[in-house]
Amino acid sequence: MNPPALRALLADSLTLWGVVGSVEIADGGVRLIAGKHVLHVTQAELEEAPMRWWLISETRRRPAASMLGLLRSLRYALNATSAEPARARVAAPS
Amino acid sequence: MIPVSVITGFLGSGKTTLLRSVLRDPSYAGSAVIVNEWGDIGLDHELLETSEENLLGLANGCLCCATRGDLARTLIDLAARRRSGAVTYHRVLIETSGLADPAPILHTLLMDPSIAEDHRVEAVVTVVDALLGAETMARHPEATQQAMLADRLLLSKTDLAPDTSALEARLAALNPGAPILRAVQGAIPPDMLFASAARPAALQHWLEAIATPGARHSAGVETISILREDPLPAVVLPLFLEALAEHAGEKLLRMKGIIRVAEATEKPAVLHGVRHVLHPIQWLEDWPSADRRSRLVLIGQGIPQWWPARLLEALEEEARG
Repeated sequence: MNPPALRALLADSLTLWGVVGSVEIADGGVRLIAGKHVLHVTQAELEEAPMRWWLISETRRRPAASMLGLLRSLRYALNATSAEPARARVAAPS
Repeated sequence: MIPVSVITGFLGSGKTTLLRSVLRDPSYAGSAVIVNEWGDIGLDHELLETSEENLLGLANGCLCCATRGDLARTLIDLAARRRSGAVTYHRVLIETSGLADPAPILHTLLMDPSIAEDHRVEAVVTVVDALLGAETMARHPEATQQAMLADRLLLSKTDLAPDTSALEARLAALNPGAPILRAVQGAIPPDMLFASAARPAALQHWLEAIATPGARHSAGVETISILREDPLPAVVLPLFLEALAEHAGEKLLRMKGIIRVAEATEKPAVLHGVRHVLHPIQWLEDWPSADRRSRLVLIGQGIPQWWPARLLEALEEEARG
């Protein structure tokens, strides 16, 4: 995923979560600034597999194995989670 | 499996009139009917001509909030009595109160394992007053919600409203995939309303309503459609649905789609969900038309237009390695 595509997805995600902030391409990935939070997201190197993403703050460097994991970590890092996040639920087969 | 359909619509829209008409049809006369009335004195059930043992009233609360447990218990008890031979019926029709949100009702019907064991949700029919519907939707968000969650929309009292084009345009913008039917005094063949909404033909109507990918907006409601030429790796599907549920959460009202899965390109997967609750994925034996692209339609509020497509692309890229 190239940085412009990553930036677009993460900017949309901030909007979806109701977070006011900005996302810009920086250092081979993207930089998010939202309130007091400054976070970097970069794609992991091939040899770091199965990790695909790194979410980097001033104090932590958190890996994610998928975009799903990255979005979840990012949302937690921004304190933008709802009290009880919805989980997909599939009805019993009929 | 016992088919269950939900008849909803705002106060005075003509739900009970429709139900009376439906129950006169010999194929539907033996239906079990559950009527939810919100008030101290229930009247609607007095107006329905059906056998006493097949008619149940749920009063003193709205089905979507206060009496959801009652609905579950009623359906389970009914099914037990049916098994024992105490009552005979071949389908269940649920008439909600005029202020009900159909989503929690569907959630109960789909997710309660004791109900899902014996019952299959067929269709949500929303009755809209042809004369007052537009004004009602402008004033009452409940009415808009009912229209958005319909599998089929039924315009009632069309004899009183010579021109329904503006209302129909509004409904089409809110719920582009739901066919808009018309009836006076509930006179319409019931199968047009209650045939399974998950059938390929019904799904096709929903999908054809979306001509191009992108989004349409109407009073804070977006219809977002995604078209994919290439088949989607199967592993992407659950990840995408999980992310949708987790991040779009309550903002996602409705989702329908037909997906060309890379591992089984000849058998399309049908997705059908209300909020974060999904019907089990249905695999069709064949494509309903020559169009073999994956098509997904989301109706929601506050979901950025391109977020679902961008997410899907990201997950697909990961799956392809």
